[in-house]
Amino acid sequence: MTETREEILSAVTAYYQEKFGKKPDFRPGVDVVHYAGRVFDAEEMLLLVDSSLDFFLTANRFSEQFEAEFADFLGVNNAFIVNSGSSANLIAVSTLTSPSLRDRQLKPGDEVITVAAGFPTTVAPIVQNQLVPVFVDVNLGDYTAKPEMLESAISSKTKAIMMAHTLGVPFDLQTVMYLAKKYNLWVIEDNCDALGSEYESKLTGSFGDLASHSFYPAHHITMGEGGCVVAKDDQLARIARSFRDWGRDCYCAGGENNTCGKRFSQQFGSLPFGYDHKYVYSHIGYNLKATDMQAAVGVAQLKKLPSFIEARKNNFNDIFHGLEKYSDRLILPVATTNSNPSWFAFVITVRENAGFTRNQLTSFLESKKIETRNVFSGNLLRHPAFMNIDHRIVGDLNNSDIVTQQSFFVGVYPGLSKAQMDWMIQCFDEFMEVN
Amino acid sequence: MAVPRKILCTVDRIVDHGAHVYTLELSSLSALTAFKPGQFLHLALDPYEPGSFWPESRVFSIASCPAQRDHLSITYSVVGSFTKKMEQKLKTGSKVWVKYPYGDFFIQNESDVVLIAGGTGITAFTAYIDGLTPDHQHSVSLFYGARSWDLLIFKPLVEQKIKEVPALTAWYFIEEGEPNEIEYVFSGRISVQTIIPKIVHPQETDFYISGPPAMIKNLSLDLKLHDINPEHIRTDAWE
Repeated sequence: MTETREEILSAVTAYYQEKFGKKPDFRPGVDVVHYAGRVFDAEEMLLLVDSSLDFFLTANRFSEQFEAEFADFLGVNNAFIVNSGSSANLIAVSTLTSPSLRDRQLKPGDEVITVAAGFPTTVAPIVQNQLVPVFVDVNLGDYTAKPEMLESAISSKTKAIMMAHTLGVPFDLQTVMYLAKKYNLWVIEDNCDALGSEYESKLTGSFGDLASHSFYPAHHITMGEGGCVVAKDDQLARIARSFRDWGRDCYCAGGENNTCGKRFSQQFGSLPFGYDHKYVYSHIGYNLKATDMQAAVGVAQLKKLPSFIEARKNNFNDIFHGLEKYSDRLILPVATTNSNPSWFAFVITVRENAGFTRNQLTSFLESKKIETRNVFSGNLLRHPAFMNIDHRIVGDLNNSDIVTQQSFFVGVYPGLSKAQMDWMIQCFDEFMEVN
Repeated sequence: MAVPRKILCTVDRIVDHGAHVYTLELSSLSALTAFKPGQFLHLALDPYEPGSFWPESRVFSIASCPAQRDHLSITYSVVGSFTKKMEQKLKTGSKVWVKYPYGDFFIQNESDVVLIAGGTGITAFTAYIDGLTPDHQHSVSLFYGARSWDLLIFKPLVEQKIKEVPALTAWYFIEEGEPNEIEYVFSGRISVQTIIPKIVHPQETDFYISGPPAMIKNLSLDLKLHDINPEHIRTDAWE
């Protein structure tokens, strides 16, 4: 490392101390209690600047490091960075449409089982690939798919199950994996909300054929914008990478050539023999790559992930203990059986007989500077974009509608201080006293 | 494939097999990345600074067994300018950068297989062969050719595994000189006419070919002429 580079990095640490080092005391009712946010120290800034000083810009040493360490963390073979969790979902679904999967290829009109109460970009790729989402309802409390509805959702057209571990709570993986094996279905886990969650002591994101992850600032770790696809199988990983990288057949990293060793000695389609493999396209793909600078932030964040997971669980427990006396009026969050969630947030559903509405409660909390959020889209099918999509519903979506009308969440992220958590509970107490 | 990593390695040992064929054993201070039998690495002679462009490199099959986590080995013959530079520059203690693992030349364990290896092409199979266990269910027939008897450098490994693995059999082909043993050794190049009669159900067998491009091309064609379904022929051909 040059002396100048060392000076720059040293200055970054000093700048961090100046700008972010001292956290002012929390002022209840004045300072916002965010539901989520980035939690970082000088390391993130250092690695970000270090990467920028390489000025390689596209994926390089930090991407390589992050992908290897992330794969190790999850216990999977294949992981590669993309530019968002939504892109990761798009790639995961698109991967299953590859002709190279032959009779398991997903084709237009094939069905994918999913849920309506969640985030739009879990479902959007299904629609975008001309597949038909089949919606099952969710449980109140854990907000995951009702497992008893899943088998009845399967038809001769069903080829995959794609669901999110919504807000950190693992869906019933035992049932899902059993059905996948029985009916030869693909499984995609949208693990964007659940990094670090466990099911039967195994990390979510490591069960399905593919899994997606998000590193948007609200999530367990951040790159700013960023995401990751993991794949169990080398063939799926190669296809997924192709969809990420313009649809090309080549798997060279950016700036590299002839990784396969056969750049000018293969024949594809009706191209001339030896057509440059770097420009052979085996899928109709996208460019969903991320920069090395994003990866650099991720490398620093990944080191903190175990402490983040623990903090989320502790914060969740604190809020739970503070609010359990209101369980006659509020449905408090629960984990699914055999799971140990790495909570994304604290979800509450206001009971029918509570005597107040969700909006009354959230308005009050917001007036006290406590950020709240609805459970993303609620019932997606009520949104303008999704109202007229080709789909099938199994049973009803009554709970999804309840989530739409009556559910919200507050934060449990590691950036919350004890004072902020205490203020949050105090505000709930204040509201409940007069309502 | 597992996430490829770039690793600085030291050349611990160079074995000169004669006729410009060498085996390199590499180790690293960093943990060596896991790989699967049949995968390959890139080796660069020039320095590499992480964060910059990867230097010129060439591909080599990883000859060592994945279970050996403390070193990697490759075997190469001098055929072009890069391998000539390797021959000239590399000494015990030399530093090289490698990036790996790459490739999907995996041998499936769901049917009988024929492995056809020419020269250093055997290294695409050595990790697989080394990993075979006594209870391996399907037959593995290796047809291994080299210019001379001395250049059948992995014959000791193969013979050792034949003793342990009933499912494994091997035939050898040498182009020059007289074979030291008679049985299972043929003079001349590997030919499909010699292979096919030795396979019980050739149409239900998967064929894997690794070696010089011309050998791969000719044998692939010949197998198809012998009614072997092209989907049952996999090749490991590099430029």
